[in-house]
Amino acid sequence: MLPLGLLGDGEVGEIVAVAGADQKTGAARAEDMGLRIGKRVLMLNNGAGPLLVKVDESRIAIDRGVAMKIKVRTA
Amino acid sequence: MTAAPKLRTSAAADPPGDARAITVAVAGNPNSGKSTLINAIAGTRLQVGNWPGVTVEKKEASFEHAGRHIRLVDLPGTYSLSPYSQEEIVARDYLAHERPDVIVNVVDATNLERNLYLTVQLLELGIPVVMALNIHDEAEAKGYRIDVRRIEERLGIRVVPTSATKKKGLEQLLEAMVGTALARGARKPVDLSYGPDLDAAVRDVARELVARHPQLVDRYPLRWLALKVLEDDERVSAETSLDRDAFAAATLEHLRTAHGEDLEALLAEARYALAAGLAREVLQKPELQKIELTERIDRIVLNRFLGIPIFLATMWIVFKLTFDLSSPFGEWIQGMTSGPFKRWAATLLGGVGAPGWTVSLVNDGIISGVGFVLVFVPVIFAMMFFITLLEGSGYMARAAFVMDKAMHAVGLHGKSFIPMVLGFGCNVPGVYATRTLENQRDKVLTALLVPLMSCGARLPVYVVFVGAFFPQNPGTVIWSLYVIGIVLALVMGVVFKRTLFRGDAPAFIMELPPYRMPSFRSLCLHTWEKGKHFLTKAGTYILAVSVIVWFLLHLPWGVESKKDSYLGKAGQVMAPALAPLGFGTWEAASSLITGVIAKEIVVGTMGEIYAPAPEHAEEAPTLGEDLKEIVTSFGAAVGESVGNVVSTVGISSLSFEEKEDHSALKGALRGAFTPLTAFGFMVFVLLYMPCVVVAIAMRQEFGGWKWFGVAFAYQTALAWVAALLVHEGGRLLGLGG
Repeated sequence: MLPLGLLGDGEVGEIVAVAGADQKTGAARAEDMGLRIGKRVLMLNNGAGPLLVKVDESRIAIDRGVAMKIKVRTA
Repeated sequence: MTAAPKLRTSAAADPPGDARAITVAVAGNPNSGKSTLINAIAGTRLQVGNWPGVTVEKKEASFEHAGRHIRLVDLPGTYSLSPYSQEEIVARDYLAHERPDVIVNVVDATNLERNLYLTVQLLELGIPVVMALNIHDEAEAKGYRIDVRRIEERLGIRVVPTSATKKKGLEQLLEAMVGTALARGARKPVDLSYGPDLDAAVRDVARELVARHPQLVDRYPLRWLALKVLEDDERVSAETSLDRDAFAAATLEHLRTAHGEDLEALLAEARYALAAGLAREVLQKPELQKIELTERIDRIVLNRFLGIPIFLATMWIVFKLTFDLSSPFGEWIQGMTSGPFKRWAATLLGGVGAPGWTVSLVNDGIISGVGFVLVFVPVIFAMMFFITLLEGSGYMARAAFVMDKAMHAVGLHGKSFIPMVLGFGCNVPGVYATRTLENQRDKVLTALLVPLMSCGARLPVYVVFVGAFFPQNPGTVIWSLYVIGIVLALVMGVVFKRTLFRGDAPAFIMELPPYRMPSFRSLCLHTWEKGKHFLTKAGTYILAVSVIVWFLLHLPWGVESKKDSYLGKAGQVMAPALAPLGFGTWEAASSLITGVIAKEIVVGTMGEIYAPAPEHAEEAPTLGEDLKEIVTSFGAAVGESVGNVVSTVGISSLSFEEKEDHSALKGALRGAFTPLTAFGFMVFVLLYMPCVVVAIAMRQEFGGWKWFGVAFAYQTALAWVAALLVHEGGRLLGLGG
């Protein structure tokens, strides 16, 4: 289990926990946009700035801070 | 079906209680094609306004369909109906309190599960729903098979596959809307089951609500209210002062022991499980999915080394194309207003025996003033067109992504970049666009920086000066001004972050939509929506200002020299302050004074002061000759514009400049400025206080004049310092003063 923010480009993980999904934090918005427990996410771009992940058919750009709150299990 | 449905607008608002009027609310995720769909249905009949009390854009359209009066209300795009962002609050308040006859839920067929999450929440309201399964063509092309019938059965609603860009399914959608609205009651959506424990709790709470708070049951949909009570929704709690724990104590106790304390999260899970289950049930995807084009493009466009260069290059191409395409038309308009229109006006006024000063007022005040502005209509529309193209194609979101890191240095995130980019067209929509940001800090900080983005109204000033002083490389000089604005915005952002806005930038989360080619029609519609603002401004209030400026220049009555007019005197007072910058003349100062009303007016005033219209002594062409000339020169402009684009890779072709005889102003400017002071003047115009319209926009957004005061003070100081640096730096480099 590792934070989503540590997945490399092209790596896939399954979300196992979203920490602090209190509705006002970024994590809760991420949940509304589909980054939920049980989802498989594909890291598209983990470069210098924000991260770009693909979940289902959406490409979602998230802050590194939010990405560190989401824990994933790699296959 | 290919043609758009025949629609007729009706200017009158619905008479209350008209049984035939149908109110339709359109809800959906951002990027679900909702606005394209609404444009396809309502087109130019859309009225854009604000939701009362908040600064979220509200679009509405009224039209007749099948003998029914339909009022279409576009709700802000949202992923959910939680009470945590302005958009979500607007959408849910409208639905819960106004209770439209039917909700059209626009769903992105290529992204079913997440869109269904919102659908599930819409169904809770108990309002009849019609689903527009949009982007259906793309889903089919991807090999998705969606069982439309099954969705209809499961949810108890009508589902119509649509493709807004191809205008498919619109007629069926309209028919389903009307049919569903008329069958109200008979066609109620299914109450979805959230599992036996939650269902029991909702039932118990609802029963107690009916028994104990009948007045609330009239104000809110019952099941929805019961769900909100269970969630302990902060907004509903505040509105109703209901205490969740006073309800259904036994059931709640059971829920908590079985599922944990956080009932809001429990309900969110239940809704998502429903959406996911339904998506699995109705959607068949092909086994193998190829890497999409969007991802392949993104690999390049978002590359950590290439991203920013690509962004800058894109902006440069946009500016280049904007000028190349539009300048011949600008010239054509200038030719028309400076020649034939003035002759006609003089002939007309002379014919009715009006005194000489009225001819001057009409020609120099009205026709010149408006003419000077109209000349820039092609530039501004071309710019809006390309910005719309960037937005519609999906690139704008990438720009936000690429710029996020740089924006973090400023204490903002990439999303704030979009209002800034819009600010290039006009600062006013830029300020309004700050409402898409999540919190007040971001909004205010972004709005303070937006006026540093060089707007379309500043272009006229640059174009005239560049034409006069830098005809060899106009594109580069103008581009450099845009870059100066951006760089200073970054600098000021850091300053503000350290002073007025301490604290962390909030989290950045944003969807990057797939790349799509927007249809030409929708591009034109959106361009028109944006450009209309400039046109109305030019038509009405800039006209008024030109007239006022004319009077300021010609009063006190009988004043001989412009210098002794009221405006000239004000300019003389101001001029010493500008002297260190190299343009401390009363002419320049007077022009700048009028520019606070709208920056494009600087050019109009300069026209008035530096190059008053010559006496019309030359033998006038006949009306017929004039008309013929107008038409043939338009043809030439079209040819030139096309030619410019074809040769766009070659030599810069900003060609406002060629026709010397049309611009006495440029000649006069060459006498009054040097290239160095001209550049300093342009920098000053770029930076000094935002125009009155921006002031009003800031006041509307943030209440009171405080933030506008901050913007006014810091920008004017910044402009002065920057122009001073240009002047002194230039002299040090030996560029002459």
